[in-house]
Amino acid sequence: MELTGDILIGAPRQKVWEGLNDPEILMRCIPGCEGMEATSPTERTARVAVKVGPVRARFVGHIRMEDIRPGEGCLLRFEGSGGAAGMAKGQSNVELSEEAGGTRLRYTAQASIGGKLGQVGGRMIDAASKQMAAQFFTAFNEQMTGVPSQQPAAPLAQATAPPPVAANAMAMAPPTATPHQPPPKPMGESVRVLWFFLGALSTAFGVWIASALTS
Amino acid sequence: MKAAAFDYVKPTSIAHVLSLLQEYGDDARLLAGGQTLMATLNMRLSEPQLVVDITAIESLRGIRVQGSMLRIGALVTHTEIENSELVARYAPLLQAAAPHIAHRAIRNRGTWGGSIAYADPAAEWPTCLLALGGTVIAHGPQGERRIEADEFFTGLYATALRPDELLTSCEIPVAQTNHWFGFSELARRHGDYAIVGVAATAQREGSALNGLRIVLLGVDSTPLRARLTEAMLQGKALDASLLTLAVASLREEIDPLPDLTNTPATKRHLAGVLLQRMFAAVSAS
Repeated sequence: MELTGDILIGAPRQKVWEGLNDPEILMRCIPGCEGMEATSPTERTARVAVKVGPVRARFVGHIRMEDIRPGEGCLLRFEGSGGAAGMAKGQSNVELSEEAGGTRLRYTAQASIGGKLGQVGGRMIDAASKQMAAQFFTAFNEQMTGVPSQQPAAPLAQATAPPPVAANAMAMAPPTATPHQPPPKPMGESVRVLWFFLGALSTAFGVWIASALTS
Repeated sequence: MKAAAFDYVKPTSIAHVLSLLQEYGDDARLLAGGQTLMATLNMRLSEPQLVVDITAIESLRGIRVQGSMLRIGALVTHTEIENSELVARYAPLLQAAAPHIAHRAIRNRGTWGGSIAYADPAAEWPTCLLALGGTVIAHGPQGERRIEADEFFTGLYATALRPDELLTSCEIPVAQTNHWFGFSELARRHGDYAIVGVAATAQREGSALNGLRIVLLGVDSTPLRARLTEAMLQGKALDASLLTLAVASLREEIDPLPDLTNTPATKRHLAGVLLQRMFAAVSAS
């Protein structure tokens, strides 16, 4: 299935980017999210309880961020497993752009679903995904416009990311996430730290992908 | 496939059901015909602590006419509706739609109330209830509550029913002598969930239709009223040129959700085809 959409968020782009990188905010926005943890700077594991119609299932999802462009967007790859219920995997692309009145967030997601969930829920997966995406972005918009911007002292090494609902099968939706956390208003020293971090990150990613390719 | 362990209770009164719902909340599931619940339990897509079997509550059964309303109890099966003379006379739309619901074995077990409360956007009964302008009657801790069909279906598998309420019956205004209705759906095989379907009702005066309600199934996350198209056809003499405009209006008005095999464009096209067929029959007769 494929899902595309966009939403205007009434907050500056930088703040939206930070929000997408804040696990606390994401946990509050992802419908049914019960917890999330960082397994590496660009990887997250999330537990999501999905309640759609007759389905009451818990999924564990893994999300990995790639192609990270701070303040602009990123690519998320995710896969989720709900035990006996089924599994899902796919990817989502998130992009931010400035616009009058706030920030435009555009997303696309492609996912495939297997197991019983695919058999039973296949007919409704698009509708369920769309609904969960809408719930996520409505909640996210509220967080962005209602809560004052936090100024994380930028623990840069902690790339936070989001485990979107996407990870689970019935709910592939929200491309929530984004990676790494640029300091809010990068200035002076923190900018240099940021760039150092980004360099280290991309190097590490390069090494990782090379080893993945050769193994 | 085998369900996870759960407790089972078979109360004989509505009050007992309500107290169980209050006590267990989301951990309790109501069992009527079981045509959806049993499958999800056995596939372990749902693992409730308690299953409350409501089939022993006699007051939830039966179809009867009360004044200007046809009352259908929550435990009435699809087959009972299909074969009911009261339904044939007072709500013929339901009789026309019933054969489209799955297969005989499922129609013998599945219930009216289960279908309405489950609110599958591609199911026939929610669509028909909305087309008929019916009312859902629910019982909760505060007593009886009546909910218009127009307010009942709130989202994908979501209704205005509260977690501590039991859907007990529905009321449908009885058909008058000038009652007109249409039902049509397209499915890959008979008995499958429809790709797209249309239910419509109106009062017919000559070649014009008044009080028109057109409801689509399989298009949105709830049964969907095509209000703009209704307004366009309202009270006007139906002819070929008006019908062409109405079909274009319907295709413009809806934004169908895709499923695994059909794109939004396919569904949009098919909805127009169904409308064309249904109303061509009106202007021809």
